[in-house]
Amino acid sequence: MGFHIAVCVKSVILEAPAEQVIRNEDNSELNPFDRPVLEAALRLKEFYGGRITALTMGPSVSLSALLEARAFGVDREILICDPGLAGSDTLATSRALAAALRKLAPLDLVLFGVRTADSDTGQVGPQTSVALGIPFVGMVQSIEWKQDVFRVKRVADHFVEEYEVKGPAAFTIHPGALVPRDLGLAGIGRAFQGDRAERWNLRDLGLQADRAGDAGSPTRVLSMKRVTKTKQCEFITGDALEQADALMKRLSESGALGV
Amino acid sequence: MDSLLSEKHRIVRRSVRSFCEREIRPIAGEIDREARFPWEVVEKMGKLGYFGIQAPVELGGGGLDSMSYAIIVEEISRASGSLGLCVTVHNSVALYPILAFGSEEQIAKWAPPLASGQKIGAFCLTEPNAGSDASGIEGTAVADGDAYVVNTNKVFVTNGGVADICLLFLKTNPYDDPGEISVVVAERGTPGFVVGDLEDLCGMRANPVSSIRLYDCRLSRENLLGRAGMGLKIGLATLDTGRMGIAAQALGIAQAAMEEGILYAQQRRQFRVPLAKHQAIQMMIADMGTLVEASRLMTYRAAAFRDAGKSFSQESAMAKLFASEACSKVTDMAVQIHGGYGYSKSYAVERYYRDARVTRIYEGSSEVHRMVIARGLMGKK
Ligand SMILES: Cc1cc2nc3c(=O)[nH]c(=O)nc-3n(C[C@H](O)[C@H](O)[C@H](O)COP(=O)(O)OP(=O)(O)OC[C@H]3O[C@@H](n4cnc5c(N)ncnc54)[C@H](O)[C@@H]3O)c2cc1C
Repeated sequence: MGFHIAVCVKSVILEAPAEQVIRNEDNSELNPFDRPVLEAALRLKEFYGGRITALTMGPSVSLSALLEARAFGVDREILICDPGLAGSDTLATSRALAAALRKLAPLDLVLFGVRTADSDTGQVGPQTSVALGIPFVGMVQSIEWKQDVFRVKRVADHFVEEYEVKGPAAFTIHPGALVPRDLGLAGIGRAFQGDRAERWNLRDLGLQADRAGDAGSPTRVLSMKRVTKTKQCEFITGDALEQADALMKRLSESGALGV
Repeated sequence: MDSLLSEKHRIVRRSVRSFCEREIRPIAGEIDREARFPWEVVEKMGKLGYFGIQAPVELGGGGLDSMSYAIIVEEISRASGSLGLCVTVHNSVALYPILAFGSEEQIAKWAPPLASGQKIGAFCLTEPNAGSDASGIEGTAVADGDAYVVNTNKVFVTNGGVADICLLFLKTNPYDDPGEISVVVAERGTPGFVVGDLEDLCGMRANPVSSIRLYDCRLSRENLLGRAGMGLKIGLATLDTGRMGIAAQALGIAQAAMEEGILYAQQRRQFRVPLAKHQAIQMMIADMGTLVEASRLMTYRAAAFRDAGKSFSQESAMAKLFASEACSKVTDMAVQIHGGYGYSKSYAVERYYRDARVTRIYEGSSEVHRMVIARGLMGKK
């Protein structure tokens, strides 16, 4: 069967809606943080051979994210879709993904985006690997694979950390790790020739209704309010050098610059 | 409009737009000013399949449909009219006729390098004495053994300065049957094949439009496309597709001009409010939007007809006429909204205004299109 990579991608909402979130084809797109993930998987496949399975959990409009993944060269796509999954928080989502990934075994590697552009929790990757009981490294910059062992690098707090991890393992890919390729037309043509993506529901996953969706989600979103930003203008005086110093100090104190 | 498009066409638009925004738009002004053909970008476009949009995947193309083609030309033209021109001429009037009328050997020889963008194609019909009246061409291909001896002066050849494979419309029996017009393919580099000076154009300046001249150039008779005398038939079939491409191009330029116009109207303040607050400017914005959307509907309709295997001559002629005229109006309004700055090369609308103008002239002028459309409506051939 060879090297088997699973990538978990999401179709996200492009614009922050004023009130209720209604997802449709016009406002949904493949999560930008998942693009480098696909790129990483494609490069690993090009280098080591094997195959890539893309999974997404979401309503039917999420199919588009899978078709885009197929156009890039993913070999198999699975849409996890069930009315019983509506209202899933990150825990319930991770449970569903873990159940699907178990069904896809044997797997060598599971890749996730660091976060999503529309929910931004960053929890799904780590939680899913905990649910699966496999090792996890976050914000990975590079991956090498040698006989079931991955060597990965990540940058944290000004240090390059290098890990050796036994597969199957799960990683999130740092969004700046790679520049995603452009989608070629032939890939798009091919993606729409083959069969439609597979659809799995709760029964396929063997998940109880009370472990999924709203019922299986401990999190309750109580309210959502738009943050009103207040701008304050401050003039920094002094000669150029003093101004530059003062500016650097302000930026680093406010956390905008990591120096 | 995009809500009515299929998932495939949305993905096509999204991916092409993202490429154009990153690779083409930032250099579009510069290549226009320098009249430079941007090989570095063209190579990338070739790798992505933009030079073989509808060619079969086995031949190195994208294997997509006409709707995708229209969307891609629209998106490239939204970033650069010159590159939109390059792509539409290459795809629809160079590669397409080879695929549609070429023999198996000809397709195997010319289609793969064209579809992958390794070679650029051109369509050479216009001559100094034959513009709107294509039947007035004087270039000749006289049979001599297994070759044609070709003499011609083709002018205004889009992609001329960089084209490797040129479709030439010639008289193949000039003495006995001057009405016999055929298409013969000439490859750059053949002895007697000369690329003339580049035209110093008003717009579309990054496209190396030039003359192509052949002096006693010997071309194998195997370079005849279709049969002798099929020239006008090939020309008409090709132009139906070509016109849809020019409509898409005009649409893309108009879309870009409208976007810039709206942006500027919202930023520029006069009389203590943004320009967009003035009703006269809002009227222009409404008209621009309506013209652009009507152009889009007509262009996509022509593409949909073609994809459905229906006759689409009338649809593509109407789309080309309407979209090119709308493009002139929209770019004109976008300049007007920009005031003096719109007349300056510092703003992109100045380029759109120049690029727009020619869409009403080439691949059949507006006047010729009206003739064709009226004839069609009155049921005459
Ligand atoms: C940038 C550019 C790129 C081009 N690319 C190509 C190319 O790749 N290949 C190619 O073969 N050609 C190309 N052309 C040529 C183009 O197709 C011709 O310019 C066009 O067909 C018009 O021909 P003409 O310029 O000789 O004008 P003419 O035919 O002389 O027309 C002059 C005017 O008279 C009008 N007119 C002509 N006949 C009639 C009539 N019967 N009734 C009413 N009005 C009439 C025309 O509409 C026009 O307004 C290109 C031109 C330009 C400017």
